[in-house]
Amino acid sequence: MDILLSSLAAGLLIGMVLAIVALGLTIIFGVMDIVNFAHGEFLMIGMYTGLLTAQSTGMDPLFTLPVAAIVGFLLGVLCYFGFIKFLLRGPMIAQLLGTFGLMLFLRNLALLIFGSEDRAVHHGILVGKSFDIGMGIILPATKLAAAGLSVVAFWGIWLLMNRTKIGKALTATALNAQGARYMGIPTERMNALAWGIGVGSVTVAGALIVNFWSVNPFIGLLFTMIAFAIVALGGFGSVPGAFFAGIVVGMITEIPGFWDFFTYTFNLEWMANVPMTSLKYMWVYLAYFLIMVFRPRGLFGWKQ
Amino acid sequence: MPLLEIHHITKDFGGLRANDDISFSLEKEELVGLIGPNGAGKTTLFNCISGLYPLTSGQIFFDGEDITELKAHEVARRGMARTFQVYVASGNLTVKENIMVGCFMNTRSRFQAGDHAKEILKDLRLKDLSEYLVSELPGAAQKRVAMATALGTNPKLLLLDEVAAGLNPREIEEIMITIKHIHNELGVTVVLIEHVMELVMKVSDRVVVLDSGQKISDGKPMTIAKDPRVIKAYLGERYVKEHAEELG
Amino acid sequence: METIKSAFDFSDFPRIDLIIAGAVLIFLLTFPLFPLSSFAMVTMIQFLMFSLYGMGWNTIGGYGGQVDLGKAQYVGIGAYTTSVMLIRWDIPFWISMPIGVCFAVGWSFIIGYPLFRLKGHYFAIATIATSLVLKDLFESWNFVGAAMGLEISPIKYNPPDFLRLIFKDDIYYYYILLWFFLVGILYINWFRKSQLGFQLRSIKDNEDVARSLGINVRWSKVKTYAIATAFVSVVGSFHACYIKNIEPEDTMSLTISIMIALMAMLGGAGSLWGPIIGAGVLIPLKSYLKEWLGATAGLVGIDLVIYALIIMIISAFEPRGIWGIVEKVRRRKRN
Repeated sequence: MDILLSSLAAGLLIGMVLAIVALGLTIIFGVMDIVNFAHGEFLMIGMYTGLLTAQSTGMDPLFTLPVAAIVGFLLGVLCYFGFIKFLLRGPMIAQLLGTFGLMLFLRNLALLIFGSEDRAVHHGILVGKSFDIGMGIILPATKLAAAGLSVVAFWGIWLLMNRTKIGKALTATALNAQGARYMGIPTERMNALAWGIGVGSVTVAGALIVNFWSVNPFIGLLFTMIAFAIVALGGFGSVPGAFFAGIVVGMITEIPGFWDFFTYTFNLEWMANVPMTSLKYMWVYLAYFLIMVFRPRGLFGWKQ
Repeated sequence: MPLLEIHHITKDFGGLRANDDISFSLEKEELVGLIGPNGAGKTTLFNCISGLYPLTSGQIFFDGEDITELKAHEVARRGMARTFQVYVASGNLTVKENIMVGCFMNTRSRFQAGDHAKEILKDLRLKDLSEYLVSELPGAAQKRVAMATALGTNPKLLLLDEVAAGLNPREIEEIMITIKHIHNELGVTVVLIEHVMELVMKVSDRVVVLDSGQKISDGKPMTIAKDPRVIKAYLGERYVKEHAEELG
Repeated sequence: METIKSAFDFSDFPRIDLIIAGAVLIFLLTFPLFPLSSFAMVTMIQFLMFSLYGMGWNTIGGYGGQVDLGKAQYVGIGAYTTSVMLIRWDIPFWISMPIGVCFAVGWSFIIGYPLFRLKGHYFAIATIATSLVLKDLFESWNFVGAAMGLEISPIKYNPPDFLRLIFKDDIYYYYILLWFFLVGILYINWFRKSQLGFQLRSIKDNEDVARSLGINVRWSKVKTYAIATAFVSVVGSFHACYIKNIEPEDTMSLTISIMIALMAMLGGAGSLWGPIIGAGVLIPLKSYLKEWLGATAGLVGIDLVIYALIIMIISAFEPRGIWGIVEKVRRRKRN
């Protein structure tokens, strides 16, 4: 029973964090229909940003978030005006390969600058601490904080999109770019803004995650695929969709835990021999495939 | 036996009823015009008949066979071809290649398809343009290419969707000659969605009028032109009331 | 037979193209006879391999316009089938390779049918997902060596072994691959003029119009996907015999899938010469960048940085690839 509960809790926590990783992707896609392969690389950049800011200034890692947010926002806007803008004019294959090129570029630039070893956060108020709430559930403080901040971020973005003028302009561009333009909403600026917010939110996610996940230049792809799965499940372009889908995907990554639970409950030896842990992410990819084929709209999607 | 019979076709899109209980039939070698104000449901009707849209209710019989449940490519293979109103011209295929796609429906041989395409190119006076990319041509020529491609499938019935839209009078004259040729010399039954009235009225044996999803008139061109319901559909109720005397 | 005639018929190309192609052909045929470094030979073999990968991809991705970014899984199926069959049961390449194709094509039908419900980005990402699923499976499957992969030790056999495709000298591999390469070109030449080829090009333009011309869009796509898969699987089998050491990370990674698509896109997707030109530019570029720059201490990764920049620039400014530029210039001159 303990395993089940702790897996559920772990899944919930990591799910909320993964949700915010996916948030940026869904915003960018919602506003301009471009699939960003480099999404995970921005996460990686956020992780390095958080790590290095904390190390060089002695700040607690959690306080590096604003730095990561600003770096991310600027980076996103820069990417848009420097590259993405031109990609949008071309056929889809060029867009896909273009963002893939961006991914390769960022990944290898990071390799060049940082080297390939893992780096992790070692000092911080919350590092290494956890809460034991009984029933075998242990919640690491860093993950808990990350999940909490994720909820705050989602709420903030939701408010931005629905209650502010600029957010509504973004939504309008997402729904119908040409129509929005006729209304006087500058599409170029909206696109750039979407990129700014999109990349900014994922770099913040990175700065959060680096507190409990070590970083190296190669982790981007995994998170990109996870983000795709979340966005597909929640519905391309849907902010609340990303949140709930994130939790579901978080649960999927905890399948090894659930599997262990069932193994012990039913006492079947063959179950113990299945290398579930290394197949952990395969379930995410499989889920993505099945969702896309059988319910492409996802949970809340309106863009098809 | 009529070539095409549509019985009580209804097509809903969510809450919007685009085609409402439409029925009519078509004999072989007729040339029928399908007119009506914008939004009347004409293109939707074409899409239903040609199998692109599933019907909400109703039945379609083509050459005696019930084709209601068939998919678009299966309908095409039974001998029904069509053109499209909004059509992004190919930047990938030349005029000849485009027409060959149509010809390939009935053969696997590239040589047969090529020869057939050559005939059609000559027939529709497109031979000089055969090596141009379709996207390089002016609008009027593109429409002729679309018609030529549809002809490549050797259709019994050809649905033309606004082939005269945006053309100047000389081009309209040319298109009219082409349509008449297809109908008279090639013996193809034609249904024509059109807004250009001179064209429709001049070539059609019969005209069907749609308004707000319903069929409101069906008869010879001169007859329906005087039909008060048709006049009202185009001019609006108020105008008709105000000009009741002139309209007689 | 008409098919054969069509495969050898290059008459719709302007004479200059055929002259250049002829010259390249002569170069390829005589290349190994010149004194050259083993590095150059390896690069040429890679060029031929990726040309073939690209040609296969081009059928569904170029002519068909369906961007498939998951071809690596079929490289894996081909490579592993040949390796396992050789290592465990001593089955020669010429039998294991067709069997690999059967497995690959079979798998392609299974996932192809549902896959082609999707279009555009969604399709592309779904292809990635399926490839990663298979890769992860292989990485956990002990029968195929899991993450460590499989190794063919040439000492066990007596090279030159034409049945099992085990050689000590690259020159044998080169000529056998060259033969495949030529067959591939003939096949694609037939394909682009065939009924299926035309159907795909119509589908790429506008699917509804294609349907109205009697084309069963979904089925045409699935068939072509299977053809592309067959190409990739054959080369995968060859790869296993050549490299003799395969693991999922090498043969089935996303990078491989993307490289395959890239060859065709850079050279000109949807044209016969495109993938070959693309491979001809990218493979030597990648190899030499790695040699010159990557080898410099402390600059690991810079070759890929430059490589990535090139990809980005082409995608942004000339997405129709090199052949696209050629055709554009020709049209302009003609009009």
